Amino acid sequence: MTSPTSPVFAEDCELTNGFGSEPISVSTTPIPAANSGRRTTKRWSFHNDSKPNLVERPSEASNQGRRRLSDITGVDGVHKEIDANHISPAQLYSTESGRLFHAGKICIVLAGLPGRGKTHLSVSLTRYLRWLGVKTHSFHLGDYRRRNFDDLDQSLFIEDTKLRLKIINECTNDMLNFFENDKGQVAIYDAVNPFPKNRFELHEKFKNLNIQTLFIESSVTDDTIIMKNMESAAASSPDYANWDYDKAYKDYSDRIKALMPYYIPMGDEDDNNKLSYIKFINFGERIELHNSNYGYLINKVVFFLMNSRIKSGSVFFARCHNNSINYSDDPPLDTNGKTYAKNLCYTLIEHLQKQRKEYVENIDLGIQDEDGTPGTNTPTSLKQKRSFSLDEKHLPAGADGVDVNSMVVWTSVKKRTIESTKYFKAANINVRHRIQLSQKNPGVVGSMEEDEIKEAFPTEYEQYLKDPYHHRFSRAESYHDLAIKIEPLILEMERMSGDVLIIADESVLRVFYGYLMASSCFDIPYLPFSQDEIIEIKFNAYANVASQIPIKDFSCK
Amino acid sequence: MPVYSISHVENVRVCVVMVGLPARGKSLIAQKIVRYLSWLSIKSKCFNVGTYRRKLASPTGADADATFFSPQNKEGVKYREEAVQSAIKDMMGWFLDENGVVGILDATNTTRDRRDQVLRICRENYIEPLFLESWCDDGELIRQNILDVKTTSPDYIDKDSEFALSDFTKRIEYYKDIYQTLDASVDKNLSFIKLINVSSHVILNRIESYLESRIVYYVMNLHIKPRSIWLSRHGESEYNLTGQIGGDANLSERGWKYAKKLPELVLKSLGPENQHTNLTVWTSTLQRTQQTSSFLPYKKKLSWKALDELDAGDCDGMTYEEIEQQFPEDFKARDDNKYEYRYRGGESYRDIVIRLEPIIMELERQENILIITHQAVLRCIYAYFMNVPQEESPWMSIPLHTLIKLEPRAYSTLVSRIKADIPAVSTYKEKGTSQLGESDGGNSVRSRDLLKGDQTK
Repeated sequence: MTSPTSPVFAEDCELTNGFGSEPISVSTTPIPAANSGRRTTKRWSFHNDSKPNLVERPSEASNQGRRRLSDITGVDGVHKEIDANHISPAQLYSTESGRLFHAGKICIVLAGLPGRGKTHLSVSLTRYLRWLGVKTHSFHLGDYRRRNFDDLDQSLFIEDTKLRLKIINECTNDMLNFFENDKGQVAIYDAVNPFPKNRFELHEKFKNLNIQTLFIESSVTDDTIIMKNMESAAASSPDYANWDYDKAYKDYSDRIKALMPYYIPMGDEDDNNKLSYIKFINFGERIELHNSNYGYLINKVVFFLMNSRIKSGSVFFARCHNNSINYSDDPPLDTNGKTYAKNLCYTLIEHLQKQRKEYVENIDLGIQDEDGTPGTNTPTSLKQKRSFSLDEKHLPAGADGVDVNSMVVWTSVKKRTIESTKYFKAANINVRHRIQLSQKNPGVVGSMEEDEIKEAFPTEYEQYLKDPYHHRFSRAESYHDLAIKIEPLILEMERMSGDVLIIADESVLRVFYGYLMASSCFDIPYLPFSQDEIIEIKFNAYANVASQIPIKDFSCK
Repeated sequence: MPVYSISHVENVRVCVVMVGLPARGKSLIAQKIVRYLSWLSIKSKCFNVGTYRRKLASPTGADADATFFSPQNKEGVKYREEAVQSAIKDMMGWFLDENGVVGILDATNTTRDRRDQVLRICRENYIEPLFLESWCDDGELIRQNILDVKTTSPDYIDKDSEFALSDFTKRIEYYKDIYQTLDASVDKNLSFIKLINVSSHVILNRIESYLESRIVYYVMNLHIKPRSIWLSRHGESEYNLTGQIGGDANLSERGWKYAKKLPELVLKSLGPENQHTNLTVWTSTLQRTQQTSSFLPYKKKLSWKALDELDAGDCDGMTYEEIEQQFPEDFKARDDNKYEYRYRGGESYRDIVIRLEPIIMELERQENILIITHQAVLRCIYAYFMNVPQEESPWMSIPLHTLIKLEPRAYSTLVSRIKADIPAVSTYKEKGTSQLGESDGGNSVRSRDLLKGDQTK
């Protein structure tokens, strides 16, 4: 519960806007330049004429028309620099200052030894906050070090040498610029930050500039997590590009060893300095909040941290069959749809078997029941009854996706998507139906083609072209509405360690994909999902990777 | 098929075990969690050990004063043990026989032995225990809570305030001797939340499921500042006059009158000493609610898509009579199960609850709010605060041109309403008819009186 004192993150008294709302009355009076640093009442919303001209905006997305298929396997956009007028997929409104007005400027400072997943943490937080419409950027001190020096002299990581101060200054300067000139709201400072003294100095420095600091210390007591992180750093860290793996592994482990004696974990001294900090232990096993002030954004961050897991599974996207029918109709699957359902399931199981996923081991695509569902070699359910004893203390919950070796299929509540999962159910894979996965409500334009819309609603159509992501036809949902609706599912997806398959309408898949690959809202409405492939997204500490799996024909099998 | 906005209800059951000394706000938190989850259709129930103890011991007079709670009082210990055991037994019975999803054991559970016992029972029954401790050493906060005891604890209803204070303080002392707080190293294998001094420090340990994380997030958003929430429907609209549903019509002449009178109603409701209280106004994105808000003097007015009226899909813009003629089966299906019925291409009440969830979370964080929205949406918001069961909430009568004030209190929510005295059509439809208006007896339907009060208790 929040204590009765007013939240520190409030700026002025404009704490009142929440997730999903937008100001009604918009004053169009321009603000005097002298006032530009302060919160003002002038805000523009997506439905107001004063918003930036997106068409003339130099963006690769401003050229209209359908995008090519190859776009979907593009790279993760989470590291892209965002310009000052950038609008995010789930962003609710914008302000003159470019920031959400229920939270001020925040610097999230990470702390922790190398190999503690700080980069993963900063990247996934950036992804989530940007998606929410909070202008966020991660600043990895390592990037600045690499830009300045080629060698990996250990002293660079510890001593306050001139060289070290130079990189820190460069990075800090970029953060300040991000706040001052790029309308940034949250900067994430990814560095070891080993000393309470420096942490306090950083806090003081930002405080004087009216920027709140929140420290997040990632600490790991579980050696297997550290080993895994070290392996992945040796294999994929930019520090070790072109290195021999074993040599890289040794160097990285030496670096950690060298830093270990210097690092002072956050604790009493930071408490005395009244720093707000979160200890994030073993990637979410335990989270401790110290001197918390519970602003809107901080609560969101904590909620995200609670659901954030190291992911080894993938997210798969598949379109539901025949999504060009009327929004309100709910017909069952036709013959083609049934074939599609089978091909989809078999293709995915075959793909997973190639990856040696244990949970599909016993499914035999050769054996079929009378109705064509795949057989299993073991007649009993794959789920094992769990044992109980106090000695084992904590057993994994029965929730979906807790087990790395598991898969869940999500669909909407429409008949055709429910029926599409028949083969998965037969293979003992959990299937969940969620109302939020229903296609975007097209409102008055219904199943009209683009030229029909153009004819029937010429002015609305023009507005739609300017901003297809946010435009809401009468009685319709926009992509933006959809993004807000599926937020709980996004967090649920973040929590699952196993695989997830989402079978849904193209409009819904676009929004999910947009989140995972940090697509801009100029691209999302044009992302193509075709019915002859499954899109797989693999999680990676630095960037997610998308790939296509062509759906094979199993109908004669 | 049930659809939950919080997922995995299908296979997770959670027992929230409250931990902490008396006067730490445990019951308040427990009640709120039950209200929130029930509203989301997650079956939850609170088992308050104090209630069991009173049932057992009060008739004998054994628990008349604090000495009952002394660890040396053998009779007291026996009664209290019996109370805990029957509460646990009832809770387990509820989980198994009634398919409960989240059960809350509201007791002090101050010793590790007791918690281990609860843990063992939960594990044996495949229920996930989540310990929720409220820990406090801030003297001022404790003093406030103790001062409130007269109004919050049923133990002191007919007692003198001074006696209540000193007796309750003594009772807390008895518990202090045996209290073992949750510890990050000793209890590292448990799922727990520890709130220290009303959330200035929080420890979250092994929050393993999404359902648990939702509960934690909710608890973190609660605050204890006193505030009020005002609810109003939009003024009478042109569609109301013709009996059409949905649409995005303008206000009728009488609707505009209501809009003009609304500022005065709000002031009246605030009372003479709070005339300058600043409210935040929330409306939907539809014309009629924004028009209704247009004369309010408050600067902060926000519109939310999530506050839009229930989408009637293909029936949008029709009258109930037309619906009955054109879609007779749908008309009947809706009357049979109004909460679950989803209009063709539209929404059900359950769908509204799902989209309102972020609004409720925001409402918990906010202070004084005036919400101007629509009949179905208001029913759902009202149902949250008043804990109205979902088979009744779609049938509640919420008349036009009436301002409702809700004052959330520790154990219940107070309701008052002010009528604008501007005539308006009735948009209330009883079960089994396509005619609008409330019949006098209301015998065929369970139309609820708005003033009936909170159902939590």
